[in-house]
Amino acid sequence: MNKPNIPLPYVDHFGLSPADLRSVLGIALASGGDFAEIFMEYRTYDFINMEEDIIKETAEAVSIGLGIRVIRGDRTGFGYTNDLALDKVRKAALTASAIAHGKSDGASPPALRDRTRATSRYIVRRPAHKASLLAKMALVREAYAAAQAFDKRIAKVKAHYSDSLKHMCIANSEGLLVRDTRPMVKLVCVAISEKDGKRESGYWGGGGRVGLEYFRDVLTPRRIGEEAAREAVLLLGAADAPAGEMPIVLAPGHSGVLIHEAVGHLLEADFSRKKTSVFWNKMGKRVGSPLVTIYDDPTVPSFRGSYNIDDEGTPPRKTLLIDKGIVRGLLQDKLSCRLMRGRLTGHGRREDYSCAPIPRMANTYIAAGEDAPEDILRSVKKGFYVASLSGGQVEDSGKFTFSVSLGYLIEDGKLTAPVKQATLIGTNIDILNKIDMVGTDLEFGLQTGTCSKDGQDVPVTDGCPTLRIAKMTVGGTS
Amino acid sequence: MKKEAPALRDLAESLVTLARKCGADEAEVSVSDGYEFNVDVRKGKIEQLVEAGSRVCGLRVIKDKKTAFASSSDLEMGTLKRLVRNAVRRAELGNPDEFAGFAPLSKETVDAAALKLYDPAIAGLDSKTKIGLALETERAALRDKRITNSYGATFASNEIRSVLTMSNGFVGEYAQTYCGLGVGLQAGDTDNRVEDSWSSSKRHFKDLESPEAIARKAVERTVRQLKPRKVKTQNVPVIFEPTQTAWLMGFLFGCVTGTAVYQKATFLEGKLGRLVGNERLTVVDDGLLPGELGTHPFDSDGLPSRRTVVIERGVLKNYLCNYYAARKLRLKSTGNADGNGVGPNNFYLEAGTVSPKDIIAGTKRGLILIRTLGHGLNSVTGDISRGAFGLWVEDGEIAYPVSEVTISGNLGKILEGIEAVGNDLEFHSPVTGPTVKVAEMTVAGE
Repeated sequence: MNKPNIPLPYVDHFGLSPADLRSVLGIALASGGDFAEIFMEYRTYDFINMEEDIIKETAEAVSIGLGIRVIRGDRTGFGYTNDLALDKVRKAALTASAIAHGKSDGASPPALRDRTRATSRYIVRRPAHKASLLAKMALVREAYAAAQAFDKRIAKVKAHYSDSLKHMCIANSEGLLVRDTRPMVKLVCVAISEKDGKRESGYWGGGGRVGLEYFRDVLTPRRIGEEAAREAVLLLGAADAPAGEMPIVLAPGHSGVLIHEAVGHLLEADFSRKKTSVFWNKMGKRVGSPLVTIYDDPTVPSFRGSYNIDDEGTPPRKTLLIDKGIVRGLLQDKLSCRLMRGRLTGHGRREDYSCAPIPRMANTYIAAGEDAPEDILRSVKKGFYVASLSGGQVEDSGKFTFSVSLGYLIEDGKLTAPVKQATLIGTNIDILNKIDMVGTDLEFGLQTGTCSKDGQDVPVTDGCPTLRIAKMTVGGTS
Repeated sequence: MKKEAPALRDLAESLVTLARKCGADEAEVSVSDGYEFNVDVRKGKIEQLVEAGSRVCGLRVIKDKKTAFASSSDLEMGTLKRLVRNAVRRAELGNPDEFAGFAPLSKETVDAAALKLYDPAIAGLDSKTKIGLALETERAALRDKRITNSYGATFASNEIRSVLTMSNGFVGEYAQTYCGLGVGLQAGDTDNRVEDSWSSSKRHFKDLESPEAIARKAVERTVRQLKPRKVKTQNVPVIFEPTQTAWLMGFLFGCVTGTAVYQKATFLEGKLGRLVGNERLTVVDDGLLPGELGTHPFDSDGLPSRRTVVIERGVLKNYLCNYYAARKLRLKSTGNADGNGVGPNNFYLEAGTVSPKDIIAGTKRGLILIRTLGHGLNSVTGDISRGAFGLWVEDGEIAYPVSEVTISGNLGKILEGIEAVGNDLEFHSPVTGPTVKVAEMTVAGE
C-alpha cells in the first residue's frame, strides 16, 4: 500500500499567476495582518439516483470559488467570491484585510515556492471523472438489483452514486504555493423491508478516494445491496432495545463512531484553546483505561478521510491523541497552533472555499489490543452488542451519544435476539475508564461517513477493534 | 441588489431557451444571488468576520420523460452552456419516468411584496452596528457570574435574490432577507460543565430580540442545568419545551412528505383520512404567513405557496407534496417543492390554550425535555431514541436538572398520547410548535 502513487493531474481553472497571487496577498496584508492565505477550489460532481426501479435522475455540479483569510492575533477576517476576475479577488482580499485595521510593516510577501508533492495517497486506477455515465449507472443498477433480489420481504430500494473531483490551490504569505487534486466516490443503498404491515430499513455503502476499480476489488455493488437488504430483513424480527445501564460489547469497525464522538472532537485544538472542552486541562493526564490508545491518521491510503495536504496546505501526520489512557496530542490547524504555540498536525480542514478552516478529524481509530474478540463476547453474561451504528454527537462537557441501528442481546456469552435502534449515552472520561477489554481485530467502518462541525461537513473514517465497556446507558424501551 | 435583477432573469431565460434548442422537452433554470455577513465575537473581541457575495445557478431538464439536473457556482457562459448540453445528453441515458414533467402554469399567483420577505433596513446596517450587537449580547450574558465560559456571540445577515424561469411560461422572482443574533454559554467548572445557547432569527431587523433578552434567555437556559442528577430507568410523562417540539415537528414533517410516502419510508404511509393522533393535534403547513422564516411566494415547481392543514384534530388530512410526488400519489401539489425534494414552509403545531406553567403544575412526576443529543430518529418505524437533558418534575414543581439519560418512544404513540398543548407558539424557525405534554416515554438512566 505504501508504494508511490502518481497524483491525478491538476488542472488550473483559476487563471491567476503566482505574481497575481502574491499581489493579492500583499493587499490582504495591507492593514497589518500577521498572515494571509488564498484558497482556490474547482470541483466537479456527478450524481445518479435510482428508485422505483428506474434511474430516476442524474445530476452534475460545478463549483468554483476562492476564499481569502487574514489573521491578526486571534482575529480572522474572511472573504470569498465565485467570480475570479482579478478585481473581484482584490475586493475579497480588502474585505478580509479589514479585520486587522492597522498598518502594514511595508514588506511585501515572499515569493511563492511550489511545494506540491510528486506522490499521492489517492490510489486511483479507473478515475471516476473519466468513466462513462453508463458505467456508473451499471454500478447503481447492480446494487439495486442485489438488494431487491435478496429477499421477497424487500419492499423498496434506493441506490445513490456520487463522485467528485476537487482541484485546489493554496497560496499564503509564508511563501507557500501548493496544489492537490482529490477524488471521491460513494455508492450507497437503502433497503426497506415489509412484513405484516411492519417496516424496517437497512443501509450499506462504500467508496473513498479511489477509482471505480474499488467496486470490483474491494466492495462490490452486489454486496452493498445485499448487506442493506440483510439488515432491513433482520430488523423485521428484532425486539425492542433494552433500557438502562448494562455491559456493552462493540463490534469492530463501525463502532469507531464512539471514539470519534467521545474523544476526537474534544481533542480538536480550538476547543482546548477556548477552554470549552473538558479535555483542555488534561494534557499529560489520565482520562481512560490503560487499554485505550487512539490515533488520527489522515495518511492512510485512499480512505475517505485522507488527504495529501490539509486545507491550509500542511502535510498531515499520524497523530497520537491518547496513549494508554493518557492525553498526548491535539488535532491542530494553523490558527490554534499559532496561539497555543503547538506543533502543526495537518488537521486544518474546510468544507469548501466559502468556509475558514478549523481543526477536524480525518481517520480516527482506537488501536488494537490483546483480547481475542470471542473471549470478549464470552466474558459477558448479560449485555448489549452493538452491531451497526448510524452516528453520534458530543458536547464539550464530554456527554456523548451514539445511535445503534442494529444490536443484539448478549446472554451467557452468546449473541441471541437482534434488537432495534437505540441511542447510548455516557460521559467520555467515565466511559473511557470503563473500557476493560480491547480486541486484536482493528477494522474501519463504512467509507461513507461525514462529520459536521460549525455547519461544515467533511468526509471522515472511524475505526475500532471489538471493545467491552463495563457499563453504559442504553436508551431502549423495554 | 435590485438593479441587477434583470441580468439574473435574462441569464435564466437564455438558458431555458438554449436547453429547448438542445432538445429538452421542458427546462427550468433558477438563479440566486446572495450577500452574506457574519461576525463571531468572543470574550469581548472579534473572532471572525466574513463578508461575501455568491451566486449559484440550478437547472432541470426533461427529455422523453427523463430528468437531469445540474448546478454551478461558475456563472461563466461557456460553463453554463456546457452544463445545459450535458444535461440534455445525460437525460437521454436515464430511464423514462411516466410521472416526470412540469406542473402546468398556475393561474393564481402570490404577491411577493405582500409577504414582507425583504427588509431594506438590513441592507442599510453598517458593520459597526452588527459587530456592536454581537458584542453587547455576549457582554450582557457574561455579566452573570454563574457563567464560566463563552462560545461567543454571532450576528449574521443575508440578502438573497432568487429568479425561477420555466419553459411552461413561469417566471418568478423575489428578494428576501434574514438576520440572526445569538450567544452560546457554559456554566460550572471544567469537570462539571453545562452549556446552552439562545438565538433570535428573523426576516426583519426590528423583529429581532434585543441583546439583553437573548443574553437573559441564554443564561437562564444554561444555569438551570447545573448540578444535574441521573434518574432511574422509568416510563414517565415528558413535557417538550418549544425548542424540543421543533425537532419533533421536523421529524413529523419527514414522515408526512409525499416522497417518503411513495418510497414507503414513513410509518404514516396509507394513513390518509385516518386518525393518527388525538383531538389536541392540529398541524399546519403555511407558506403565506407574512414575514415569517418559512414564507415564500412560490415553490421550486413554480407553484404558488398556500396553507395546507396536514393533521386536523388528529386526522391526517394531507401529505405535503411537490408536483412529482403528488402525481405519483394521485394527489395535488401542496406547494412544497424544494429543489429536487419536498421542504417545509412554516410547518407548525397549532397552539392550545394552556400555559406552560399550568402544564408543569398539572404533572405529578415527569421530565421536562430541554435539550437532546444525537439523532436517533427513524421515519420508517417512527421510533425515537435520543440523549436527553431535562428538568425533573415532582408534584407539579421543578425539582432538579437531569442529564446523561435517554428518552425513547414512537412518534405514532406520542401523537396519540398528547395530553396538553401549550399556548406559547412562536415562529423562531420555519418548523415550530408550542410546549407539548406527552403521556409517556421511556427515560433510561441508571
